Amino acid sequence: MRPYTLHGMNPDLFITPASAEEVAATLRHAARTGAAVVPWGAGLHQHLGHGPARYEIALDMTRLHRVVEYSPPDLVLTVEAGARLGDVQALLAQQSQWLPWNPPRGAEATIGGLLAAGASGPLRLGYGPPRDWTLGMRVALGDGRLVKSGAKVVKNVAGYDAHKLHLGALGTLGVIVEATFKVAPLPETMQTIVLRFREPPPLPALAVLHEPPLAPVSLVAQTGDGRLTEGNDDSGISGSIQNPKSKIQNGWVAVRFAGVRAAVARQLQVAAQRGVELGAIAEVLESSDDVAFWEELADVPAPRNDGSLGLRAGVAPGHMVQLAQLLETTAQRRGWQSFSSCYLGLGLAYSRWWPGPEPAADAIALALAELRAGLQPLGGYAVVEDCPSAMRPTLDIWGPAPGSARLMLALRERWNPSEVLNPGRYVCIKG
Amino acid sequence: MPKPTLITELNAALGPRYVLHRPEELMLYEYDGSALDQATPEVVVVPSSTAEVAAVARIAQAHGLPLVARGAGTGLAGGSIADRGGIVVSLARMDRILSINPQERTAVVQPGVVNVELSERAAPFGLHFAPDPSSQKSSTVGGNAAANAGGPHCLKYGVTTNHVLAATLVLSDGSVVQLGGSAPDAPGYDLLGAVVGSEGTLGIVTELTVRLTANPEDVRTFLAIYDTMDGASSSVAAIIAAGIIPAALEMLVGRGITAVEESVRAGYPAGAAAVLLIELDGLHEELQVQQEQVVALCREHGASEVRVAADPVQRAKLWAGRKGALAACARIAPHYHIQDGVVPRSKLIEVLRQTEEIAARYHLIVVNIFHAGDGNLHPLLLFDMREPGVRARAIAAGEELLRACVAAGGTISGEHGIGLEKRDYIGWMFNADDLSAFADLRAVFDGAGLMNPCKLVPSGSSCADIRMAKGAQRALAAGAWV
Ligand SMILES: Cc1cc2nc3c(=O)[nH]c(=O)nc-3n(C[C@H](O)[C@H](O)[C@H](O)COP(=O)(O)OP(=O)(O)OC[C@H]3O[C@@H](n4cnc5c(N)ncnc54)[C@H](O)[C@@H]3O)c2cc1C
Repeated sequence: MRPYTLHGMNPDLFITPASAEEVAATLRHAARTGAAVVPWGAGLHQHLGHGPARYEIALDMTRLHRVVEYSPPDLVLTVEAGARLGDVQALLAQQSQWLPWNPPRGAEATIGGLLAAGASGPLRLGYGPPRDWTLGMRVALGDGRLVKSGAKVVKNVAGYDAHKLHLGALGTLGVIVEATFKVAPLPETMQTIVLRFREPPPLPALAVLHEPPLAPVSLVAQTGDGRLTEGNDDSGISGSIQNPKSKIQNGWVAVRFAGVRAAVARQLQVAAQRGVELGAIAEVLESSDDVAFWEELADVPAPRNDGSLGLRAGVAPGHMVQLAQLLETTAQRRGWQSFSSCYLGLGLAYSRWWPGPEPAADAIALALAELRAGLQPLGGYAVVEDCPSAMRPTLDIWGPAPGSARLMLALRERWNPSEVLNPGRYVCIKG
Repeated sequence: MPKPTLITELNAALGPRYVLHRPEELMLYEYDGSALDQATPEVVVVPSSTAEVAAVARIAQAHGLPLVARGAGTGLAGGSIADRGGIVVSLARMDRILSINPQERTAVVQPGVVNVELSERAAPFGLHFAPDPSSQKSSTVGGNAAANAGGPHCLKYGVTTNHVLAATLVLSDGSVVQLGGSAPDAPGYDLLGAVVGSEGTLGIVTELTVRLTANPEDVRTFLAIYDTMDGASSSVAAIIAAGIIPAALEMLVGRGITAVEESVRAGYPAGAAAVLLIELDGLHEELQVQQEQVVALCREHGASEVRVAADPVQRAKLWAGRKGALAACARIAPHYHIQDGVVPRSKLIEVLRQTEEIAARYHLIVVNIFHAGDGNLHPLLLFDMREPGVRARAIAAGEELLRACVAAGGTISGEHGIGLEKRDYIGWMFNADDLSAFADLRAVFDGAGLMNPCKLVPSGSSCADIRMAKGAQRALAAGAWV
């Protein structure tokens, strides 16, 4: 049996349904009996959110992994939610197509899991988030209704786009059982230039890296004084990263281009020139290294068991500089090291704080509050994605409830009326 | 006649100038671009701010009256018609572009801003608003968001929902909520995603933050000319299957080409069986490669000629022809009924043939001018209303066309919306459980059931008896267009 342990809790039973109807039947049963259900894909994003308030049933979706429909000439794909993104990509690659996403641990992640977790990845700058590629879904709602929205064609306005509500909802409204996507042709080539700065990268000036003719598909700057070190470091001060030959360094900016060879070549050249003018040393990576490099970068937000706090923070893209500063100074003021992967042009940062070997929960709570106070006038937010498990129950994982929390709660009461799906894990908890 | 107290209250909230209730004033708000159905609201209000819209909602709620938002009224599905009476809320005065942020590539606008004006204002920054419905010279950004409008260039850049970042929404109880935001992935359910495309049934949008898109470095526009419709259809499928996503890929068939050419004189080859209007955009190098591929594919699939637009003036003319197609077809017959079903691109040949077969069977003229790259058909049924029985035939033919789209694995509407016109077909795509989930969503936003009731999905038993055929009958009695 797989370990379905979640924040130290274990379920009474696990169910591995083989069809959408079985998922729905499980939820109907749960709604009747009040048994709390935690849907499981690959389990890669189970660290997100609070621990469940109750946990009786682990609903393992991985048997639902069929490709339901794939029509390469139409660039439309329908798959069951338990399919792994890596397997889906391999199938698409045979037709020179792909889903242009690279979420953390993207090879193993299941489709349903990554959609429910709202995972995206650095490619989002060029291709948009999975939301833009999702044409429709079948979902088993918390009361066992099996419902669909959207269509299996690239454009549709019949019905509400109800499937968007399940993106990033951590399975608290329903369990995604099937999804239909628009897929993209694979670009002829992808290649990356790394700009290395001796000083911290001059974030405001980096805007030139996504001004015409440059149209990077990814643009990520690494800032901070903490290090995702090579190999394992038990001091609890630094993080660790699996690949000992890690290319990820603070002060580095990675810019990735995709398209026909000649267009990529010109952009690399222009980016190098602009980088050098800003004082960087420019290195164009071998195109054969490209995929591995970005897999590593995309994995930065994945949980690490090193006593650190993993944050996701967002602002309007124009406020990225302030966001990076807030993330760094809030930690610095406490003598903590920090590291941020800043998705320029998107306004998104994945950050880590290392509060030392025996961090006090209230010190972290205070730092979080300070960060959020700084972000509030910028319209930004910060969410704790990953932290030492002992700390999780006391931390304010989600921050202040959104202004429309009343509507969100009302929606959950309708689609998950018995609160059996992932109770207590997501924002806008009752009371 | 509206109750005097209603008018008094609205006058107090907005000023009498912006409360219209005389019959000759109301007449202007009886129809939209579809003109399938007509209905007279009790009163029309023209508020100037979110607060005024909220005040109107509170008054409507107190009187138990429906609220129907209206942008430019160019909708093609009866969405802004006050089918059940009530208050039409025109957003025409809320037409300011509040800010443009070139660095972030965003704009904050009021809902009544006309689509093309936003792109014009963004042009000095090298930016534009990507959704470009053919109605862009008159339709509003609020209406585009409510309908999740598409347009020729949405093939590459995505439909309106991909370009809306935040919205201010007034609910039927008069409360105001902010949805979305410029910061990506803020915690909370994606309510904005459900509101875009909701056709004014969840609330009235009073402000929007939208994404702007960088103008491409290079643009190339071609006309591929065919002796057969099948040649054009198979070229579309071949281009997409080859992994090329043009910026736009539009098809004009048969008599439509002649009508368009007569109206704009842009060099469309009158008499050709079909043409493709193809646009590529991006970096020079990219276009060089794609142009060769596209031209080769078109020839391979039977294009007799592929012409390249020589300069921006010619390009603009070709587009003026395409975007003016609906109006141009008035040269063929005075009245139209348009559908916009979508099919998988690989089924285009088959379904296009069906449109001709169906139209012939109902003795109607059909003109197909449409977003071929998306598989989004726009069969335009043309006729003269004075011919007895023709209206009923048009409706029946339209219904059959949509059935063919659904049977091919597609949908009944790609962009025009469901509104009143297609509401009764929604059951072809969604079962009772699906619809109950939609009804839940609606009830969350609009507990009172007053926001554009009976549009998009049947909401409650009060809608059940409004069959489309009955609506059309009323239109007939009133001497309206279909
Ligand atoms: C010649 C012509 C060509 C067209 N071409 C296209 C095309 O290429 N692509 C396409 O998608 N459509 C097209 N349309 C249809 C139409 O123009 C679009 O649906 C457009 O988005 C409607 O905008 P509007 O401002 O006219 O909205 P309206 O017609 O006034 O309203 C449309 C719907 O939105 C609701 N609504 C309007 N404003 C708001 C608001 N502020 N808040 C909440 N709800 C609101 C209304 O209640 C109604 O349900 C075309 C129409 C015509 C006449």
